[in-house]
Amino acid sequence: MSMTATRMLAREWRGGELGVLVAALVLAVAVVSGISAFTTRLQTALEQESHRFLAADRVVRSSRPMPDQWLQEAQGYDLKQATTLTFPSMVFAGDENMRLASVKAVSDLYPLRGSLTYSEEPFGTVMPATQGPKRGEVWLDSRLFPLLEVEVGDYVEVGEGRFVVKQAARTEPDQSAGLFSYGPRVLMHYDDIPLTGVVQPGSRVRYRQLYAGDEEALENFVEWLEPQMEDTQRLIDVNQGQPGIGSALGRAESFLLLAGSLGVVLAGVAIALAARRFSERHNDYVAIMKSLGATSGSVNRLYGSSLLLLGITATIVGCLAGWGMQALFFDMFADQMPVQPGPSGIRPYAIGAATALTCLLSFAWPPLRRLAQASPLRVLRRDMPSESRRTLTDYAIGLFAVTLLMLWYSGDWQLTFAVIAGLAITVVLGMMLAMTLLRGGRLVGMSAGSIWRLALAGLQRRGTANALQVVIFAMAIMLLLVLVLIRTSLIDEWQTQLPPDTPNHFMVNIAPEEVQGVDQMLRGENIPSEPLFPMIRGRIMAVNGVELPRTDEEEEGRRQREVNFTWSDIVPSQNVLTQGEWWAADSEEALVSVEVEFAQRMGMELGDTISFLIGSAPVEAKVSSIRELDWQSFRPNFFLVFPPRFLAPYPATFMTSFHLGAQNKVFLNQFIRTFPTVTVIEMDVVVEQLRSIVTQVSSAIELVLGVIIAAGSLVLVAGVQSSVDSRMQESSILRALGAHRRLILGGLLIEFAALGLFAGLLATIAAEFSVFVLQEYVMEMQYAPSPWIWPLGPLAGMLLIGALGVFSCRSVVSSSPVTLLREL
Amino acid sequence: MAGGDLEILKGISLEIKSGESVAIIGASGSGKSTLLGLLAGLDEASEGRVVIGDTDLSELDEDGRALFRGQQIGFVFQSFQLLPALTALENVMLPLELNGHDDAREQAEYFLDRVELSERSHHYPRQMSGGEQQRVAIARAFAARPAILFADEPTGNLDTRTGSHIIELLFELNREQGATLVLVTHDNNLADLCERRIRLEAGALVAE
Repeated sequence: MSMTATRMLAREWRGGELGVLVAALVLAVAVVSGISAFTTRLQTALEQESHRFLAADRVVRSSRPMPDQWLQEAQGYDLKQATTLTFPSMVFAGDENMRLASVKAVSDLYPLRGSLTYSEEPFGTVMPATQGPKRGEVWLDSRLFPLLEVEVGDYVEVGEGRFVVKQAARTEPDQSAGLFSYGPRVLMHYDDIPLTGVVQPGSRVRYRQLYAGDEEALENFVEWLEPQMEDTQRLIDVNQGQPGIGSALGRAESFLLLAGSLGVVLAGVAIALAARRFSERHNDYVAIMKSLGATSGSVNRLYGSSLLLLGITATIVGCLAGWGMQALFFDMFADQMPVQPGPSGIRPYAIGAATALTCLLSFAWPPLRRLAQASPLRVLRRDMPSESRRTLTDYAIGLFAVTLLMLWYSGDWQLTFAVIAGLAITVVLGMMLAMTLLRGGRLVGMSAGSIWRLALAGLQRRGTANALQVVIFAMAIMLLLVLVLIRTSLIDEWQTQLPPDTPNHFMVNIAPEEVQGVDQMLRGENIPSEPLFPMIRGRIMAVNGVELPRTDEEEEGRRQREVNFTWSDIVPSQNVLTQGEWWAADSEEALVSVEVEFAQRMGMELGDTISFLIGSAPVEAKVSSIRELDWQSFRPNFFLVFPPRFLAPYPATFMTSFHLGAQNKVFLNQFIRTFPTVTVIEMDVVVEQLRSIVTQVSSAIELVLGVIIAAGSLVLVAGVQSSVDSRMQESSILRALGAHRRLILGGLLIEFAALGLFAGLLATIAAEFSVFVLQEYVMEMQYAPSPWIWPLGPLAGMLLIGALGVFSCRSVVSSSPVTLLREL
Repeated sequence: MAGGDLEILKGISLEIKSGESVAIIGASGSGKSTLLGLLAGLDEASEGRVVIGDTDLSELDEDGRALFRGQQIGFVFQSFQLLPALTALENVMLPLELNGHDDAREQAEYFLDRVELSERSHHYPRQMSGGEQQRVAIARAFAARPAILFADEPTGNLDTRTGSHIIELLFELNREQGATLVLVTHDNNLADLCERRIRLEAGALVAE
């Protein structure tokens, strides 16, 4: 047989038979590959972002010098490397002024990831630095300038070394660790350390070796390194703690994966519908071809290779579209991205191709394969039953394929379950409800006017087909509702998390006698601030009389450690008690309220007795409550809270956080001169960055939503089209019998609108359920019902399906009944 | 021939000679189309045999019969049965392509010319009148040079004038090719043009 698949496809394409099928395939591939490429690149970017917080890819940390041999060995692996040394030291300016500072000496290449920022004057415009301090110079924290009464170009002394003040040190990528530990920062060159003479054996110092480079080389190097490391040396990689940005982007990623999965389902349904219609129409063609001598093998080969060709074309076009889509996303927020998006690799496009293949094999091939069984006798008798009817097996194969695909794509079985369960609810409820309601419709229809009678008779006549159609419409509407709901709650949550007056500066180390002055000064300048919290430094020693392990290293985990305590007579705002009770305001009892994650980490439970050391005084308190709190709120948060009267005897300093707009930053200079011992920590850059990322990710989400709505519309169009043939036939007979335009269009409108209304109702029920599972178990958000979708879902279904239906059948009233009847 | 409880054709014994033209006539529902389906190998008899030349159709499966149809049999149908997505020329080319003819296009063009439609070879069926569509179908039937031509009510969907033109064409081409012609009709005038008439009544042959 020499008729090639290419020629058949070309002819079909010209005949307009392939439109929806091709569009559905291309969309499936584009959505899957585009979203997957986007999230992969975002993930790489995120990883870089977290590397930035280490200033390297891997860090080895120790309180003692580490062998230089390690650095030399790393060179052999082609890794970039840097060393830093941090220690507290007094800094002198002239004879009068001195200050305890946290000195950080860095080697030439520091930082290996992220960048240092500086400003030419204290609190001035922040600029990224291309390299760290050179030998002989220091960069000072902005607040050291007024404290030491120095300006750029003056000299300061660190130990025995004398250095010129080059500029203000603003931020370091790995600064977040130990914000509260020592005084203000002094940055200097690593090779200048011997000049200072302050680093002696036994000094409180922290050495770090930084490594960065190719991931594989890093792993090989670490494999070599680990056996040589001693107990006091620790290797750190990115998994230790993600920045706050991580969680916002993490949820966005879940959303995108969800959107992509829904895209797959929608496209799968559209493909199934289009393939079904295609095969129904081709039943007659196959019969003709068979009468002309085509065997079932050759029919199978013809349709099989056509499908393959279609798959390949759609994959290529879809991958190109997907590539374009993710490029567009990144283009949209190239300016605000803190890091360059990483490479996506070939995987997203492989997933796209696999989606096309799976969709074709599980949705399109079953009805087409049965075409080969079409009887040639159809050429004589057109009333023979069509062979393309779907069997239960087809549906099972389709469901199984879609589940696997979603699972592979999202890697999240909970997400997959939430969507599939929602779909199952739609199908079961849909079949039941549709059958019942449609049967009810007949009774009403008997006594209604003629348009209504026509429409309701139509609904009831095609009962099963209509029920199936209701289910398909409901599935599409449900998936769209789910996406809209999740998107709305996600964006709402981000907005409430980062209101415009989010605190972006912290003040710590406020002496009790300064509290009133600081408060007045903030009020005087109309600066909104959180209340001042007392802060007492203490050390946790034992739980229930059992001493915790003692160690010098700063690891997370169960050990004796220094913590900041506070006191409060009420539950601090935005804290939620999960266990126990709060104390009375005037309580003098030895009680403590513990943050939930901290309690887990330290192995503390309600009722346990904890032993502390405040200064040199031993103290004991009983755990009376466990609290949950939001660490991303940019408010002062504490692991341990005590009753005010209980902590009153111990010396406390105070802290607060406040919002300061960029135009008011000079206030800080005046403030630090007035309160020289107060430490101000600037977080405004971080908050701004977080805000811009959230804005950009929100627009990416809107865009993806748009793409999925396109996929959903395609399903609706395919669904409407699947019934157009039989409706057209009936309508043209009616027209031939003299029915006027209004009657036919009105009847069609009512019929489709009724289907849309049922579908919208089902969709709303199933969407509410899916959203509940998704929010509670997948996105870790608070589920709240959305009453507004209850009228919206059915209404939108009614209008949308009604309009689409009438639009698709409009030619029935615009062309002559004879032409229509002849065509059918 | 019995199909379950319902007997459609019964006790039919019939021989048609090569090159003969035969009309099967009878009222609607008398079993004409069923007989045609069996003779042409479109359908399988539950009992009995159909032998064409040396080939026993009842021993072939559907694929075997399809190959046989492709090589030996041409069809003209009442409802034309053109593929709507193909142009007139492509419709005529279809059986030639299915049977692997290298010169499908030339052959198809020749036969379209014979039915006086070469001007419209790139038109789709829906752009043509019923008579034109049937002429395309005739061109398609003869293009593969079949040994037997089956025609099922070829004028049933056409007006009298167009119908007689179609019949002229059909018989003219049939004479040229020397094919056997089996024609199903309830039109006595049409049947009279054939060398032999076979009448079916309620599934049984009756003498003419």
